[in-house]
Order: sequence, then C-alpha cells, then structure tokens
Amino acid sequence: MRRLWLIAGRLLLGGVFIYAAYTKLAQHWTLFAFSINSYGLLPEWALKPVAIGLPWLELLLGLLLVAGVGLRYAAAAASALLLVFFGVMVRAYLQGLEIDCGCFGLGEQLSAKTLARDGVLLGVSLAVTIAVFLSEAKRKRHLETNSFVNPQGTG
Amino acid sequence: MRSRTPFFTLRTIGVGLVGLCLAVVVSAQSPGPTAAVGIEKGYGSKSAPIYMEVFSDFQCPACRGLYEATLRQVIANYVATGKVYLIHRDMPLPNHPHARTAARYANAAAKIGKMESVISALYANQDRWSADGNIEAVVASVLTPAEMRQVRELVRAQEIERAIDADVALARQRQVRSTPTIFITHKGRTTPLPPGGVSYQLLKQYFDYLLQQ
Repeated sequence: MRRLWLIAGRLLLGGVFIYAAYTKLAQHWTLFAFSINSYGLLPEWALKPVAIGLPWLELLLGLLLVAGVGLRYAAAAASALLLVFFGVMVRAYLQGLEIDCGCFGLGEQLSAKTLARDGVLLGVSLAVTIAVFLSEAKRKRHLETNSFVNPQGTG
Repeated sequence: MRSRTPFFTLRTIGVGLVGLCLAVVVSAQSPGPTAAVGIEKGYGSKSAPIYMEVFSDFQCPACRGLYEATLRQVIANYVATGKVYLIHRDMPLPNHPHARTAARYANAAAKIGKMESVISALYANQDRWSADGNIEAVVASVLTPAEMRQVRELVRAQEIERAIDADVALARQRQVRSTPTIFITHKGRTTPLPPGGVSYQLLKQYFDYLLQQ
C-alpha cells in the first residue's frame, strides 16, 4: 500500500514539474525572467541564467520522478527546490507584492491560493522524499540481513 | 519473479510518459491571447511591428518608476526608430485622489499632440502635484499659453471622460489588477507581461527576440 502511495506521489510531483517546465519552455525566456525579477531577489545579471536553466532543471526532475530513476536524488532536489519556491513566495506575499506567481507561465497572481497549492506540493514532495529514503534503508537492511544469515550467498 | 513484474511495467509506463512529455515540449508553440488593439494615445508609428500598451495611474509611484527607468529608454531606442508603437492607457485608481484629474490633462494634451511632454512632466513632478493637487501648474510649465488655453477647455469635455472610461473598461476586460500593467502585441498575439519585474534590459531582449521573428 505504501508503495502505491509513493508511486502516486512521485507521478503527481513529476507531472507537476514537467507541466511547470513546459509552460516556461513554451515561451521566450524573458517572460519568465520578468516574473523572477518581480520578486526583487536576484541581480540583473542572474536573471537570464536562472530563467533559462530553471525550467530545464524542473523538466529533468519531473522526468526522473516519473521514470523512477535516481529517485533519492530527484526527490530530495525537488523538495529543496519547492522549499525555496515556497519561502520566496511567502516572503513576497507577506510584503504585499502584487506580482505573478511565475509558477506555471504567465497570468497567475500570487495569492493565498497559490501559496496553499505550493504548500501542499511541498508536503507531497517531502513525504515522497522520506518514503524513498525509508524504502532504501529498508532494502539495505534486508540485504544486510540476508548476507548475515547466508554470508556465502548460496541459499 | 512475481514481485518484479509490476516494477518493470511501471518503469515501462514511466519511460513512455517521459518520451511523450519530451515530444510535447519540443513541439510546443507559444500560446497567447489575441486581442484587437485600440489606438488612442500612442507614441511613434502605428505601422511598428510591436505594439506596447501600458495601463498606468499617474499618481502611482511604480508607474513613475517604470516611466523613468524603462519607458524613456523604450521611447528613445524603439519608438523613435519605428520598432514599437507605445500606447498609454489610463487606469486611475480610486485610492489616488488626483489620478483622474491628471489623466484628464494627459488626454487633453494628447488631443493637441502634446501628450509626450505632459506625461513626462506629470511623472517628473509626481510628488509635488500629488501633495498639493496643483496639476495645472505642472502641465502649464511644458505648454505654451495658447496650448494651455486649449487644454483647459478640453479637460472639461465629455470626450476626455469617455476616453478615460474606455481605457478603464478595457482594463477591466483584460483583467488588469494593478498598475502599471503592460501588454505586448506582435503579429496579432497579445501577451501580458508579469507586473513588477519589467526592466529595460529584459524588455530590450524581448523586443529584439520579437523583431527577429
């Protein structure tokens, strides 16, 4: 059952990351750069590399999560990224900035709704990350137990 | 062996989804709303390939910031060279008591072909007239006495009110939430720019990209 929840969680997360990347890659990078700039956190020189690189990173993480490849790294990186996004959005919201979220392309205002959605995604991501690491630890323990019971590995 | 079968099935589905997503991303075309552009108060040539509409409130500090830091350079480098047609749209906000009066003067100035100098003066002296409400003195400082007489008459005209109301209605229709809000129209496609993050350097790169299309 836990395995099914993990699969559902990583497919959801992966799908969201892929969609987020798609909405940004489908438009010119400057449009995402405008959104990033509206948060007022990055210097002008950093806008282009971040606006170009971030959607590809989202796409890579989304694909890894969906494919189930390198799950520990992908889930941990996705959680770290979502934590940064969430922190930045909360900061902007508390400052009362009337800006776009920049989450899925153009035209979505930063609001309590977008914060709630990103908070839920962060929760799912953390749950997936913890589940992946627990599964890995369990698998290792299982292997160690097997090799202790049967050190020759001939059983 | 039995426990491995679902794993491989899931992996196959995953790899298939990955391929599908890649194909979608590679073939993606920029989506965007299309809208007719009403041309009322513009700078530059109407035959420019890019139309830039800016919904502004003359009393809003962010609008002044955009005008001073970005629009002046756009006017000098893109409007003057016939690449961009810049359209001013009024969106006086209710919390700014002098914004609508300032918009009336700007519209009246537009009627006599003096919009650019009046808008420039309104933003340059925003602090002053926002405090004392004496917009006429600011407008008079950039017009001749004859032009000022014309503007004084036009300011009270219904036509001016209707022009402002038409912009406000357009703002509502476009779901403009704050000022300044910018729309870029190129090849029949209108794109709203995210509010708050439009710098000249980024806008320049966006315009150059559009002009290469």
